[in-house]
Amino acid sequence: MNNVILITVDALRKDMLGIYNEKSNLSPFLDSLKDSSAIFCNAFSSGPYTQSSFQGILASEYYLEYGKEKKLNPKKILVSQVLKENGIYTAGFHSNAYLSYYFGYKKGWDTFYDSMEEEVTDMYPFTRGGDINNKVEEFLKNYSFGKPLFLWVHYMDVHEPYIAENNYLSKIDPDLKISKDEMFSLFRDVLHKRDISDGKKVDILKKIYMAKVIETDSYIKNLFSIFSKYNLLNNSTFIMASDHGDEFSEHGGLSHDGKMYNELVTVPLLFYKSSYEGKIKEPVSLIDIPPTICDIFGIEASPTFKGSSLLPLGERKNKDIFGEAINKIGHQEKETDKPIYFTLDNNIKVIYRKEGDTWEAYNLLEDKSEKENIIGKVDKNLKDKLKDFINRKRGE
Amino acid sequence: MITDERKKELKDKIAKSKQIIREAFSKFRSSELAITWTGGKDSTLNLWIIKKVCDEDNIDLPKTMTIDEGDSFKEIQDLLKKYSREWNVDLEWCKNQDVIDAAGGVLGADVKVEDLNEENQKEIRERLEYTGDRFPFEAESWIGNHLMKTVVFNDFLKRNNIKGMFMAIRWDEQPARKNDPYFIKKEKDKYTPEHTRIQPILHFTERDIWDTILNYNIPYCSLYEKGYRSLGAASTSNKKSDIPAWEQDLENTVEREGRRQDKEKAMDRLRKLGYM
Repeated sequence: MNNVILITVDALRKDMLGIYNEKSNLSPFLDSLKDSSAIFCNAFSSGPYTQSSFQGILASEYYLEYGKEKKLNPKKILVSQVLKENGIYTAGFHSNAYLSYYFGYKKGWDTFYDSMEEEVTDMYPFTRGGDINNKVEEFLKNYSFGKPLFLWVHYMDVHEPYIAENNYLSKIDPDLKISKDEMFSLFRDVLHKRDISDGKKVDILKKIYMAKVIETDSYIKNLFSIFSKYNLLNNSTFIMASDHGDEFSEHGGLSHDGKMYNELVTVPLLFYKSSYEGKIKEPVSLIDIPPTICDIFGIEASPTFKGSSLLPLGERKNKDIFGEAINKIGHQEKETDKPIYFTLDNNIKVIYRKEGDTWEAYNLLEDKSEKENIIGKVDKNLKDKLKDFINRKRGE
Repeated sequence: MITDERKKELKDKIAKSKQIIREAFSKFRSSELAITWTGGKDSTLNLWIIKKVCDEDNIDLPKTMTIDEGDSFKEIQDLLKKYSREWNVDLEWCKNQDVIDAAGGVLGADVKVEDLNEENQKEIRERLEYTGDRFPFEAESWIGNHLMKTVVFNDFLKRNNIKGMFMAIRWDEQPARKNDPYFIKKEKDKYTPEHTRIQPILHFTERDIWDTILNYNIPYCSLYEKGYRSLGAASTSNKKSDIPAWEQDLENTVEREGRRQDKEKAMDRLRKLGYM
């Protein structure tokens, strides 16, 4: 019997993982899975923040398919719904309010923990990784294993407010002495205000963030020891990804706003214990995850899914890459904020903002930091490709 | 019908509540105490027990307050009016008139922050740190809940110099309540005066509430008969069933499912995460 286990980390930058960045050593556990994994080197999320990207990860949909909406449109089908209907047991454990019952994500789950009944603090406004693991273990203890299992576990620990434990922070910078109250002040006064005027403060924020990556890696390690205890390691395919990255003033901001630059939309994606081991350079999108999960179980995907299966891994498929979100800057989305889109073709990224009708293009091979706008030089077809996506026939 | 054994249990629960109430009267003068009364099942039972103690001990019934969010059920208002007269309750209807005016009394209307008085603006900017220009007039939204309930509550405490407030919280209401003590001292902060919250019916379960109400013929709002289990703002409370609340499967279903707590909770989390 085969199971699929999807592990996602909120706001985890791709370059934090040693798998993608050999200078980084923050994720020893995840890095240790490297040799038994298919590693996607060019995976893109369908948007730069949870509401936009998780519609891809769990429903294989773009964010604005039915226009600007606060909740998941009822017409969008979650992968959990498809699986449950086909006799797979579905269980999800997370603590992101945007993915809670209220926002329409409690569909198709036999077991669903969204943590919304828990009391949380200002410093940790979510269920922390250790407690998420406890919930998963409690569930596995009582699970009969009578059906194949689809398990989704999502961690919030890397998400702001960045409040790190000292033992992790000292691994990043032994000389950095900062109390949790001071970390919280940085969140409130610097990150929340998107104030990048003091580079030193931005550096400290990033260091705290890095400490949170180490912490999260340790939670994932513990999760795998739970999987081992319940004999899930040898009969499951593991998919690991983040929903988006985080910005540390690369493009004038902090956190994850409505921008389409790579620090936000390139994400880690790996398949552990799958049919393929090695690097996959071809660009893929997280909207391909739901159809891939269906494919692993041998179940037909939902006709609503916009992506397509990544199987067989390693075979070239020429995927289209698109993203769609609202171009909000700062912590508050305004009614008047307009959409932003991107596409990728042959290492050229094209971004369109409806606000001001502005186009940008970057050569991701030559200009990794996306500073030099070459929109005047790119082939017209590329702009047309994104225009076609923007003007596509949408759901009604 | 309930068994004699069950009747004894209920009697003991009431006795425990009376003991808490007497303790409160020994700590505070009656004029320093007040009672919250929404007209819902819990606060009506709470008031009924407090009134019993006052009658038995010959104490004046403390001042009672109800919060009018501009969105209450008529049936609730009727009950409050009827029994405040019958029980001789000194009931004050409290509301944030400034916000109601700014919304033109229309539910869901967009309220401009600049249309509010200085105090309400201060609450929004300094306490909630909300930077938007407007918010929806909805008693159970984040800003609405604060202005229509919290601010009104604090204002009542200040105006009447209240030191202790009787409230009808129950342990089984939600997991967050399960460790609540009978007396909670709230320290003074920039906005809230120091006061003690007294919760005499903490140990009643939803089932205990109904068994007591029915056994002692305590009045209840007619909406419960029609299937509502929990009554909040009229526009956001729903019934999930058509049979009377006390005949529903209280033990295995959620009391507040018909109320939009899920939105409040989600919004609170998002705010703490730095959104909104």
